[in-house]
Amino acid sequence: MEVNEQLIQAIAKAVVEQLQRNGGKSPAGMSSANAGTQSLAGKTRMRPKHSYEGAVRAKQGTDPKEVVIGVGAAFQTEITKTIGGIPLDEVLRNVKAGIEEEGMVSRVVKVLDTSDVGFMALAAAKLSGSGIGIGIQSKGTTVIHQKDLYPLTNLELFPQAPLMDLTTYRKIGRNAAKYVKGEKVTPIECTNDPMVRAKFQVKAALMHIIETEQLDSEKGMIVWEGAR
Amino acid sequence: MKRSKRIEALDQRAVNKDGFIDEWPEMGFAAMKSPYDPKPSIIVENGIITQLDGKKREDFDFIDQFIADYSIRIDRAEESMAIPSLEIARKIVDIHTSRKEILEIVSGITPAKMVEVINYLNVVEMMMGMQKMRARKVPGNQAHITNLKDDPVQIAADAAEGALRGFSEEETTMGVARYAPFSAMALLIGSQVGRPGVLTQCSAEEATELELGIRGLTTYAETLSVYGTEKVFIDGDDTPYSKAFLNSAYASRGLKVRFTSGAGSEVLMGSSEKKSMLYLECRCLFVTKGAGSQGIQNGSVSCIGVAAGVPAGIREVMGENLVAALLGLECASSNDQSFSNSDMRRTARTMLQFMPGTDFIFSGYAAEPNYDNMFAGSNFDAEDFDDYNVMQRDMQVDGGLRPVTEEDVIHVRREAGKAVQAVFKYLGLTEVTDEQVEAVTYAHGSKDTLKRDVASDLMAADDMLKRGITGIDVVKALAESGFEKLAGNILNMLKQRVIGDYMHTAAILDENFQVMSGVNTPNDYMGPGTGYRVDGKRWEEIKAIPHRINVNEF
Repeated sequence: MEVNEQLIQAIAKAVVEQLQRNGGKSPAGMSSANAGTQSLAGKTRMRPKHSYEGAVRAKQGTDPKEVVIGVGAAFQTEITKTIGGIPLDEVLRNVKAGIEEEGMVSRVVKVLDTSDVGFMALAAAKLSGSGIGIGIQSKGTTVIHQKDLYPLTNLELFPQAPLMDLTTYRKIGRNAAKYVKGEKVTPIECTNDPMVRAKFQVKAALMHIIETEQLDSEKGMIVWEGAR
Repeated sequence: MKRSKRIEALDQRAVNKDGFIDEWPEMGFAAMKSPYDPKPSIIVENGIITQLDGKKREDFDFIDQFIADYSIRIDRAEESMAIPSLEIARKIVDIHTSRKEILEIVSGITPAKMVEVINYLNVVEMMMGMQKMRARKVPGNQAHITNLKDDPVQIAADAAEGALRGFSEEETTMGVARYAPFSAMALLIGSQVGRPGVLTQCSAEEATELELGIRGLTTYAETLSVYGTEKVFIDGDDTPYSKAFLNSAYASRGLKVRFTSGAGSEVLMGSSEKKSMLYLECRCLFVTKGAGSQGIQNGSVSCIGVAAGVPAGIREVMGENLVAALLGLECASSNDQSFSNSDMRRTARTMLQFMPGTDFIFSGYAAEPNYDNMFAGSNFDAEDFDDYNVMQRDMQVDGGLRPVTEEDVIHVRREAGKAVQAVFKYLGLTEVTDEQVEAVTYAHGSKDTLKRDVASDLMAADDMLKRGITGIDVVKALAESGFEKLAGNILNMLKQRVIGDYMHTAAILDENFQVMSGVNTPNDYMGPGTGYRVDGKRWEEIKAIPHRINVNEF
């Protein structure tokens, strides 16, 4: 059995190599796209490492009106749109606008310690003068957190990034600001697409790899005012 | 290029909306094996494992060390490792080799050896293996009970209907995490309306989940996640040791508990260490075994989109279910997460567990329409109930469900809604109106129900935790509101924690609260004429699907 499997693999490999040498033309008229899949072997990164040389470490906040927004390591650098295709510049603009509409102040940091959105949001909350923070991954997944909560709990979680729109991002800003003010907050209504995993999970994995490979724990959290 | 109409038609098929990716072992996109997987080996010196799968003890990460110290029977290791992997694979399929003998052999092998064994099996052989290695004689099924509004009344009604339909366990979770106390309580109440003895859990942040369990608002726990690489463990603020402690915390209060793991989580977290999904999952399952857990929920679970995206991914999913059974663990075999737009593909995937039977074929069949499934969609949902019942009947297979009548469904849904209404009133929580109970009784999903005051609900839920409300308070509330039989059922569920028998491997309870587990009702399959067969009363029940032609009135 083992011999047969090895033999088949060897033949398949030889055929693929032949096809690649032929530039996709094969005697049977089979296109190379169908012939086998070794093209990714040996590849170890998605994107080159970004330099944060000279970046300024974000300071502990003291302003009780502040909401800190912690964005992902690839935010506005390697990744410019969410998994649903919304430009990250617009995402950030709307979250900030939401915070300001409620009379609070926003501050953006880039989180280079972790790409886990729960921990990103908690880190932002701990840095925030009010104790309220928002974590936004580059693929768009967002959490509102508070500094005293357990890492894997939260005030509000928006796990299905492909369903997000700019109105929701604005509401997230507003609700975060309302938590700062200690108001009775009605959480933003949940949305659910039961087919989201089928359509997006592989893409989500690739985007998360791009984000994670940009981590630089030496730098920690840095001041972030948009693309640099 | 001028388009072929045939190819255009094919491009429009649902399956082509699914995500597929080539194998890329460097990033962990490899299902069954990776060129970077270690080769099996073991060295035992003075009763200690000093080398595991090619790695010396001083180079162990904490997962290796945990496995070496707690997961492998050292007295068996050298003998088991000497048996060729092909021979172990053949014994798994051989009807003349008993489950017990295989458990004995497997108790001494390493994770890399397990990977080698599984790679020798095709999917049919894996199914034959599962038919024999499943812990409990009778297969079972578990439901997800959730809704988009986190409406506790709907949770109770869906739980009652789900229990009536045959689920042995029911799991809830929330869109808004702070609803957890309401969700857990409503699920507990509803389940016992539908069928006494159904176990319930509330998937939440771990500390919250434990607290709900300790208070008796849930009767088991499942969401103790373990991972195959050290980095992902650390990212989750955990180690195998902390998970073992958490497991013991549940055990100390007499709660049934199982762990959770599955292919693709390390890939999604970007830390696969270039290993195959099967190898990493074997590490998870060995950790689960070593931590003393009776069981596991696995089969890629929430990362199924990744596993299903690579070649042989669905074979790997069945393979990892089988590994769980080979280690003697209860296996709740996933099928609980949507992964394909194609009805054909999603059904085919489930057949691998449905046909041989597992301890829980689904570790979350959506007992509500999928738009209400807050685990982001299950592989089967409430609209598939009749298809599923027909498949059981077609193949004479026990998938754990049964046909029901509309009258019974309406009856238990209303009863559950009224019980929750009474308990909320007695405990001074938010109001549940008659209109709301009525809407939920006849509802298919949350699109048919009334809106609740979310902000008030959340304040009341927080208050419920602060006031220290427990399962006993629920029993009292029901008993003093005229629901004495239901109060008795819930009291009986609480008693299980004192008795403790349902902590045995793969335990479920029948309608008389009697335990059926891998210990008192073990799987004794050894080929044709042995093991569990669908017959008698159960077969009559499965046959009675709705919409049969009534010959007398034809």
